[in-house]
Parts: sequence; structure tokens; C-alpha cells
Amino acid sequence: MIRTAYKLLQVISSETEPGQISLGFAFALIAGFTPLVSLHNLLVLFLILVLRVNLSAFFLGLAIFSGVAYLLDPVFHRIGLAVLTTGSLEGLWTAFYNSTLWRLERFNNSIVMGSLAVSLALFVPFYLLSNKLILKYREHFLAWVQKTKLAHVLNILRYGGDA
Amino acid sequence: MTGDRAPAAPAAPPQPPRKPDGAGRWIRWPGVIAFAVVTVLLAAAWWLLVDGMIECAIERAGTQAVGAKVELAAADLALIPLGLTLTGLQVTDPDAPMTNAVEARRISFLMDGLNLLRRKVIINEMTVDGVRFGTPRKTSGAIGKQEPGTVQKAARTKFVLPSARIPDVKEILAKEELQSLKLAESLRADIQAEQDRWKQQMAELPDKAKFDDYKQRLDKVKSAGKGGLGGIVGGAGEAAAIQKDISQDLDKITTARKTFESNLAQLRKRLDETTKAPEEDLRRIRDKYALSPQGLANMSSALIMGPLGEKIETALRWYAKLQPYLQSSSERKGKVEVVTPLRGKGVDVRFKERAPLPDFLIRTAKIGLDLSAGLVSGTIRNITSEQHVAGTPTTFAFSGEKLSGLESLALNGEVNRVDPAKPHDDAALKVHGYHLTDLTLSDDDTLPVSVKEARTDFDLKAGLRGEALEADLAATLQSVRITTGAKPDAGAVAKAVTSALSDVKALHLKADVTGTVKQYDVRLSSDLDQVLKQALGKQMQEQVGKFESQLRAAITEKVNKPLGDLKSSFGSLNGISDELTGRLQHATGLTKGGGKDAGLGGLKLPF
Repeated sequence: MIRTAYKLLQVISSETEPGQISLGFAFALIAGFTPLVSLHNLLVLFLILVLRVNLSAFFLGLAIFSGVAYLLDPVFHRIGLAVLTTGSLEGLWTAFYNSTLWRLERFNNSIVMGSLAVSLALFVPFYLLSNKLILKYREHFLAWVQKTKLAHVLNILRYGGDA
Repeated sequence: MTGDRAPAAPAAPPQPPRKPDGAGRWIRWPGVIAFAVVTVLLAAAWWLLVDGMIECAIERAGTQAVGAKVELAAADLALIPLGLTLTGLQVTDPDAPMTNAVEARRISFLMDGLNLLRRKVIINEMTVDGVRFGTPRKTSGAIGKQEPGTVQKAARTKFVLPSARIPDVKEILAKEELQSLKLAESLRADIQAEQDRWKQQMAELPDKAKFDDYKQRLDKVKSAGKGGLGGIVGGAGEAAAIQKDISQDLDKITTARKTFESNLAQLRKRLDETTKAPEEDLRRIRDKYALSPQGLANMSSALIMGPLGEKIETALRWYAKLQPYLQSSSERKGKVEVVTPLRGKGVDVRFKERAPLPDFLIRTAKIGLDLSAGLVSGTIRNITSEQHVAGTPTTFAFSGEKLSGLESLALNGEVNRVDPAKPHDDAALKVHGYHLTDLTLSDDDTLPVSVKEARTDFDLKAGLRGEALEADLAATLQSVRITTGAKPDAGAVAKAVTSALSDVKALHLKADVTGTVKQYDVRLSSDLDQVLKQALGKQMQEQVGKFESQLRAAITEKVNKPLGDLKSSFGSLNGISDELTGRLQHATGLTKGGGKDAGLGGLKLPF
């Protein structure tokens, strides 16, 4: 827990652009909420390696969102089932169902569909909100946090007093 | 001056890392290489681990399905062409953990790669070699507590040798409740209640005093009639009032008498039944404790039912285990079909396909059964739990000829779930020239019976229509040698059975199984019924005769007094009947007049 908190503080306090950190978190939202072994997560992996996304933010976010997803699975199941059984979308899903690529994606599974729909819907709002929070943090709290004893203790724990 | 040196330039301040501009600000090109490396590493790890993962998945799923350990020696996945080879499959018998129910040396098949990407396992041809049944295990295959089976055993009568000893009548009557005594006690209480009720009712009905009162009033009216016209007119009015009163009382007594007669008739009927009840008790107890002709037939059924029942239960238990895999786990939700996977999270929603295929289908499985008698080969077609999608039922056909101790064997059948609302399964097994040896029919201590050898032909047809089970078995045993383990000091019955069974050289057997898979009933008939009846019939008849006379005497002694009391109690009701009749006659006499001065008849009215 301490390690995670420290890592989070370290990431958002670094000189990395806030957009890269936020994007890392946003991609982690998709990869963490949806079942890890999915075709779309291969695309996420490609994007986080090719785009200048903060990898620490991604892996930290992945750990957090995977844990949250475990609790949210029943919700994802309900949302996914509702989306898949909506009459107006039946034509679209039928077309997808007859495509090998989409079948490989397992879009017709209620949890895959539910978690993907939720994470895609939250992707942009989460990116913008995260960006704003990092900027606010750096502007108002960073200097104060660095002076606190907690930051000092965390530094000692991490680097054994050299930092 | 060589030692002079120019003063060193001041060190340049450290430059902050230069941030890339344009597309480079957002794209890191080495990431493409990193992605390729990561992907190759993941693929390599998968390839190294996939065989183990398949092995684990099969063992885990199989163990859960069977309820005992399912083990696999190795799994080998080939990519080009896409196929899988499984070796050393062992399926533990959940009822005997040190035995494998099924063992297969090698299973190999090719898969349709494109359909596999669409999450459909389509196997065009599967070969299963070296299938053996009932092989011993080195270690136990039990996995903790077993759940109780869902198949309910048919009521099976254990073979018990009938005793030649006449049962002790006193002992029997001490533990048996006589129905006649219960009926007598109940009837006696009812008669008493009826008596009490009528005593009370008789007090409320018009009695002799009331009739005397009527008579006095009538006499007065008569004397008034002799006192002129006014007396005659007044007397006529009084006489009409008296007549009305008497008529009402007469109605009351008549109604009461009818009710009483009706109740009395019912009680008399019950008395008759109670009087006959000792005979019923006698018949019931005699049938229970003495061997009847029906008991002899049951004895032969019990002999055969032992080994046959075990086979039926084993077959139905395995059928029940296979049930979840024979039927699709899907349901319709609106226009689409929702499929619940056996394992895993969420549900898969199925949409209309251009070329519908089940999620799992083995088109043809060629199986070689390595039985102790020799090799029996067969083919199973269209193995799938979604026959309604495939449109064809699962069929199977196995045959073997000139085997060791078996001339020929043929098994055919189908499991039809094409219309999930009307499932029906059929199987037909024909066995010719099977050399049956050492089949234990009874392990009863008093008389163990076994078929030492016999040449057997049998024909089994079984069908399931929904829940309804129906099966017929017709078997012929020739060159039969039945042995019994009767001791030299065995009783007369054991000796008679031993002698009768040792003479049996041929046997015809017919069994009908009806009911449901969970609760079935077996009706057996065989030549043994007649054989045992002939051997034991006379002996048993004498025994039953003696037992019956002793039992009759004992029952009579026990019920005589209660029945006598009951009859006397019933007789006391006749007093009420006589009393009612007397009152009725009195009332009738008043209305009709018994003589010149009696009743209304004595009053001459002027109109």
C-alpha cells in the first residue's frame, strides 16, 4: 500500500507531461477493467508502447483497476447483457458475430462487452479529469508534499536515505 | 613552458533533456520494436506452456465432471496441421477409487483452425485407441467426499432362503398388531356412544305418561260431548287440537326410529366386518411369515436381480453423469440465445450465424475398445451438446466378432436432442455366444448360489422418451451349471433348492424395466420360478398348513372375548329399538283407536 502510494506520488510529481501520465491511467482503465487476455488488450499494449504513454502510470493503474474490476464484474455482466440484447443493436452484433476477428475478441460475452463499454465510455472523461487533477496537484500541493515528513520517510524507505 | 596551462573554462550548466517536437512528442518509434519483442516473447511462452495448460484444463474439467480423478500422461499440440494428441488418459471410477472406469492409451484429432479462432472446436475425425474398462490404479483416485448419486435403486429383494421351521405363533402375535382387535375396540366405543346418545334422546321423546295424558284429555272430550250441542261443538275443537299434538309426537317418534334403524344398520355392517376381520388377520400374517407361491417367484427374482440390478444402476449412474453434456445449456432471451458456459464468468450471447455450427462438435470418433475378450471397434458420430444447431443426433455403433469367450457383439443406438423439447435415446445390444463364468447370484450365508458357467445369448433394447425409461432384456442361458454352497447339515429347503438348481441346464430370462432414470422398476420372469415352485411347493404347502392352523387358534383365542363383548354390547341396542317401537304403537293406537272407547275413534263427531 505504501509502495503504491509512493509510486503514485512519484509518477505525478515527475516532470513527465500530465497528458502522458493521464493517458497511461486511461489505457490502464481499459486493460484493467476488461479480461486481461483479450484481443483489444493487444492493441492497448501496442498503443502504450508506441505512444509516449507513461508506462509506470499504466502499470500502476493496471494493478488498481484490475482489483476494482473484480468487484465490478456483476455490474459489467448486467450492462453487457443489456447492451448485447438491445433489439436495435441486434443487426450490428449479428454482423460482428459472423466475423472471425470479432469472435476472437469475444465481444458476445456479457462481461467482456460490459467492461469494454464502461471503460471506453469513461476513457475520455477519465483522461481529462486525471489531467486536471495532476496539474492542480503540481500547482498547489507538490511543494507542500515534498516538504512533509511523510515524503521524507517514503524517500528513506525507497532509497535508504540517499535521496 | 610546458608546465603552464591555460585556465580551464568554467563548466557549462547541465542542459535539461531535450523534448521531442512534432510527432515525436507523442510517438516513440522504438516502441514498435518493443511491441514486436513482447509479442514474440508472449507467443513463445504460450507455445512452451500450452501443452501443460491443455493437460491441466482436461484434468480439472474431467475431475469435476466425473467426481473422481481424471489424469492425463501428456498432451501435445501441433500447429501445422492444427491437432492435439492426448496419451494415457485415466478416468477413475468414483465408486471404486482404486479402479479406472475408463482408460485410453491414445486420443488424437485434427481441429478446424479457422473455426477455432471463432471459438468453435470442430473435430472432423478423432481416433481413440486402447480403450479399456475397469483397470486397476496404483494410487487412489478419490477426491474427498462423494455426493450421493441421483439414481434411486429399484426396490431390490435380497435372496433369502426360506426356512422349513414353522414360525413361533406366540412370538409373531406379540409383535403383530391385530386389525380385528383394533376394529372391535373402535366399534365398541361407537356402540357405547350411540347408546348414551339414544338414552338422552329417548328422554326427550313422548313417553307413556304423555300418551296417558292424551287419553285423559280425550276421555274428557267424550264426556263433554254428551252434554248437548254446545258441548259437542266445544269437544270437537279440543279433539282436533289433541289430534294435532298426537300427530306431531307421532312424527317425532317415527323420525327418531328411522334414524335409529339407519344407525343400527351401519353398526351391524361394521359388526359383520369386525367378525370377519380375524380371517383377514390370519391371511395377512400367514403371507408375511410363511412362504407362499408368490414368495417362491420372488425368490427366483431376487436371485437374478442381484447381478442385474448392479449393472442397471451402473449404467444409469454413468448416464446421469453424461446428462449435462448431452443437453445444451442455452436459453432464449428475446430474439437471441444466451449460453451459460459450464465454467467461466459471464454469459455468451449467441446471434444468428450464416453457417450455424455448434461450439463443440466431433463429427466422427473411431474408437477401439481393448476388452478382455478382444478388440471391439466402433464409431460415434456427431458428438455435441448442441444437436439442435448441428441438426443431427449423436449415433454410435460398435461391433466385435470371434472374440475370446464371445462369438459376436453388436451395440447400436442414438442420443437424440435435435428437438430439445422431445429428447429421446435408444440403444440395442445383441450378444451371441457369451461364455458366462462364475456369476454370483446370491452370497447369502445359508445358501450361496452362483452360475459356474453358461453359454449366453441376450438381446437388450432400451429407450428413453424424456423422463420415461423403458427397457426389455431377453436372455437365453444354455449348458448352464449352477453351483450352491449348501452345507451337509443344511435344512430340507436348502437341499431341495440345491437339487433343483443343479438340475437346471437351460434358462430363459425376461426383464422389463420401466419408470424413470431416477426411479425405476424391474419386472423379472424366468424358468427358475417354475423350477423352485416344483421343488419346494409340496414341502411349503405342508408347512403353511401347520402354521395356518396354529395361527388361527391363537388369533381366535385372542379375539374371542373382545368380539363376544362387542356382540353383547350391540344386543343392548335392541332394547332401544323395542322401546321406540312400543311408543310408536301407543301413539298410533291413540290416533286410530284400539277399541270402542279408545282414541279419537271413540268420539262421534256430528259432521
